[in-house]
Amino acid sequence: MTRYVERFNTGERVLHWFVTMTFFTQILSGIGLFSRLFVGYFDLFGGGQGAILVHKYAGVLFLASSLLLFLNHRKEISVLDDDDRFWLSRLGGYLSRGHFEENNGKFNAGQKLFGMFMGASTVFLGITGLIIWWPLAFPRGIVQISLLIHGLIFVLFFMLVILHVYLATIGNPGTLDGMIWGRVTRLWAKKHHPKWYKERAGQEKTT
Amino acid sequence: MAESRMGFLIDTSRCIGCRSCQVACKQWNKLEADKTANKGTYENPGDLTPNLYNRIRFIEKDDGGGVKWFFLSERCVHCGDAGCMKVCPSPGALYRTNEGFVAFNKEKCIACKYCVSACPFNVPRYGADEKVSKCHLCSDRIGVGMAPACAKACPTQTLQYGPRGGLIAKSKASKKAVYGEADLSGLGVLYVLDDKPETYGLPANPAIPTSIFLWKDVVKPLGILGFWGSVAAVLFHYVTIGPKKLEGERSENGGVRHD
Ligand code: HEM
Ligand code: SF4
Ligand code: SF4
Repeated sequence: MTRYVERFNTGERVLHWFVTMTFFTQILSGIGLFSRLFVGYFDLFGGGQGAILVHKYAGVLFLASSLLLFLNHRKEISVLDDDDRFWLSRLGGYLSRGHFEENNGKFNAGQKLFGMFMGASTVFLGITGLIIWWPLAFPRGIVQISLLIHGLIFVLFFMLVILHVYLATIGNPGTLDGMIWGRVTRLWAKKHHPKWYKERAGQEKTT
Repeated sequence: MAESRMGFLIDTSRCIGCRSCQVACKQWNKLEADKTANKGTYENPGDLTPNLYNRIRFIEKDDGGGVKWFFLSERCVHCGDAGCMKVCPSPGALYRTNEGFVAFNKEKCIACKYCVSACPFNVPRYGADEKVSKCHLCSDRIGVGMAPACAKACPTQTLQYGPRGGLIAKSKASKKAVYGEADLSGLGVLYVLDDKPETYGLPANPAIPTSIFLWKDVVKPLGILGFWGSVAAVLFHYVTIGPKKLEGERSENGGVRHD
């Protein structure tokens, strides 16, 4: 028995990093439009018009890939069970140093909520983004609200991604391996996702 | 804004709807003529266009005894607190002149069209070049001491250019109410109206649209705080509570990886 179990296959990993790349392209090309404090970021794209151009077309790629990522995982993330509710009531044990006994499936409740937020936000960013793309084609009130919502979700999304990156890297050692190499240690799986690990181990025995 | 702020007064009670101002503006700013359609009124063209910075709005009102005409020179009113400038992401694309008006520089405009949505008066227009265009109060004339082309051409002194405070004082002295004295930190273009603002299609209380205000004055500053706050929060978590370590990883394997 090897020390590892598979967590994400190659296709899943490529998609994840593709979404990540387009997401950060969107942040970098959009931040100058968000506030004049970040006007310097336009230089990365040869000026404001270049940034807008990149933001539009990379936005389409982000919308498509992020939506696909969400759809691929929608079954795993859309139902919260009792273990998830327990996890949520303790905020995943993140607010204390003590040992936290968790019984998660493939994804814990925080990951599920992040996934649902991501799916919904992607849709809203997409819709409002398309409206802002052609502002003269829509009533002024609609465009004004779209600008507000696009900016608001941009902020929330970025804040949650900071949290996501922290928890997936230094916050939970061993987690990043799953998204880079595709496999995690059995120890990691037993600790963070025991229910999922048992299923996995069961499958290994039968095959 | 400074005491020296200049102003532009439009006394609609004097306007005869001759449209000299429309023509003079086109000539000075070298703006092409637009193809228009006959809608059965004297109003022409029916809306501001990228080639029309200023037009006379013709309003017909039936007051029982017959039709009454109202004429309004519709244009950018050069808000003291300008929605267009608030949202413009490209420094210098929209800028304030020394006289206090809002001018634009097409070369700096990045064609985002945010100003279209943010203007309380629905003024900025976009041409085939995809760049902002609107009345700039002849910044290239007033900068060298000349009157704006429209005011120069107006035969009835409906359009008057001068120190803003003086224009307001003069109107008040002749008992005429001024529209725009205090709205949006004072409009650079003031109106003397013969009827309610709504009759002329002007908002009674012009203000920057609520969603634009929330976007630029609430979400933007809180968002920047939120971003740095999130970075600080995760770092704080790391150094206080710390990561979820896989206790036992070492002891169980005796410090040796055997795959
Ligand atoms: C440098 C940036 C990022 C790093 C280091 C990172 C890391 C990771 C890791 C290690 C996982 C696996 C978690 C597990 O095993 O349970 C993961 C999953 C995930 N990440 Fe990221 N991530 C980054 C950026 C993003 C961005 C920008 C998004 C969304 C726009 C995103 C969305 C997701 C989603 C939806 C999952 C769940 C499952 C899957 O992707 O297949 N990540 N990430
Ligand atoms: S009227 Fe519109 S375009 Fe003119 S200064 Fe005010 S916000 Fe800007
Ligand atoms: S379209 Fe041009 S002038 Fe208008 S907000 Fe965008 S950059 Fe500024």
